[in-house]
Amino acid sequence: MGKCIISEAHAIDYVYGELDPSKMDEYKEHLMTCNNCTRMVNSFKRVLQLVDDAEGVYAHNISMPKNLQSKLYRRINAEDPVETTIASKFTSTISNLLTLMNQQKATVFSLFIVVVIGTTFFLTDPFQYIPTYKENVDDTAHVKIQEYRQLEIQRNMEDVLRNRHLRNSNKWDRVSQLNRVKDQARGTDWATIAHQHLKSVHSEL
Amino acid sequence: MDKLIDDEILVKQFQSGSQRAFDELMKRYERKIFGYLLRSVRNYEDAEELTLEVFFKAFRALAKWEPKAKFSTWLYTIASNLSIDYHRTKTRHPVYVLEDEDVLETRVVANDLSSNPEKQIEDMERGRIIREAVDELSSKQKEVFMLTRYEGLPIREVAETLGMAEGTVKIHLHRAMKKLQTLLRPLMENNEI
Repeated sequence: MGKCIISEAHAIDYVYGELDPSKMDEYKEHLMTCNNCTRMVNSFKRVLQLVDDAEGVYAHNISMPKNLQSKLYRRINAEDPVETTIASKFTSTISNLLTLMNQQKATVFSLFIVVVIGTTFFLTDPFQYIPTYKENVDDTAHVKIQEYRQLEIQRNMEDVLRNRHLRNSNKWDRVSQLNRVKDQARGTDWATIAHQHLKSVHSEL
Repeated sequence: MDKLIDDEILVKQFQSGSQRAFDELMKRYERKIFGYLLRSVRNYEDAEELTLEVFFKAFRALAKWEPKAKFSTWLYTIASNLSIDYHRTKTRHPVYVLEDEDVLETRVVANDLSSNPEKQIEDMERGRIIREAVDELSSKQKEVFMLTRYEGLPIREVAETLGMAEGTVKIHLHRAMKKLQTLLRPLMENNEI
């Protein structure tokens, strides 16, 4: 006898008591005439009965874990994100990190090294040439420049004053020379000196 | 609290701020969920941990839960997903626990010392064979079988819980029954029932 495809589809519904009532009579009639289906349904029923008997003993004897509810509320209180403060978040992050470090030491260490190298590359150019004593060189050059500038101003000022004695008659030349020195010496003491000399020349004019 | 109150009404009460409503829901389902997870993961401590996780997730999500399906279906869906994740993790990082089944059996025996020890051992042995047979089923067949038989969910609810069509559930169930029929044949032939 071949397989009863429709009947096989109904077998599960039937043994589970979920067969559509409109099909029930028809299926029962079929079972009365089909040995294969009857055997299958009976076998399914026996399997379920075996399972149910074993399950009955098993379920009856399962001991529930103690204080499940209080454990749940403890966990809810501990992990409630609404009530977490920045401090508790920080603490939990640190503790999570420590746990992770304990569990995955090698991974965390490698990650740390990668982060350090990455940060170094991002913030600085590790291949950039950094001259030794760069700052000192700059400072020295600046001081030297200032010194040369002072000397130049001093020399010009001396020229103006020396010319005063040599060419006492041409005061307008002196005025223009003093103005040049004054401009050149702007921001230094020589500018004040030049200004005083200019004043005295103007008073002579 | 009144046992006759629907789960959905308790959910509404919880959503209005009553924590006692959640306590009642937990009281109703903790044994079922624990039993389901214990059968699924076969480890007492892990089942306890997963049960806590189920109710923890439920507590968190219940405030926004809308009754598209029954509360119990929703709860079993959470449990089923956690169980799948658990098995997935175990497959990836297998942990070899010595005599896990024996620990479970000890707990079972220790809970009922008053009964006949011989009968109890016989029952235990038969139970072990049946559980091993159920464990032989594919993961989907096992899920479907456990939810229908152990948890007593109707096929429609199992389909909702596992996100399958009813027809697919029936196919898995049919295959599961065929396989169990083969695996349990020695018990049936020995007139054990």
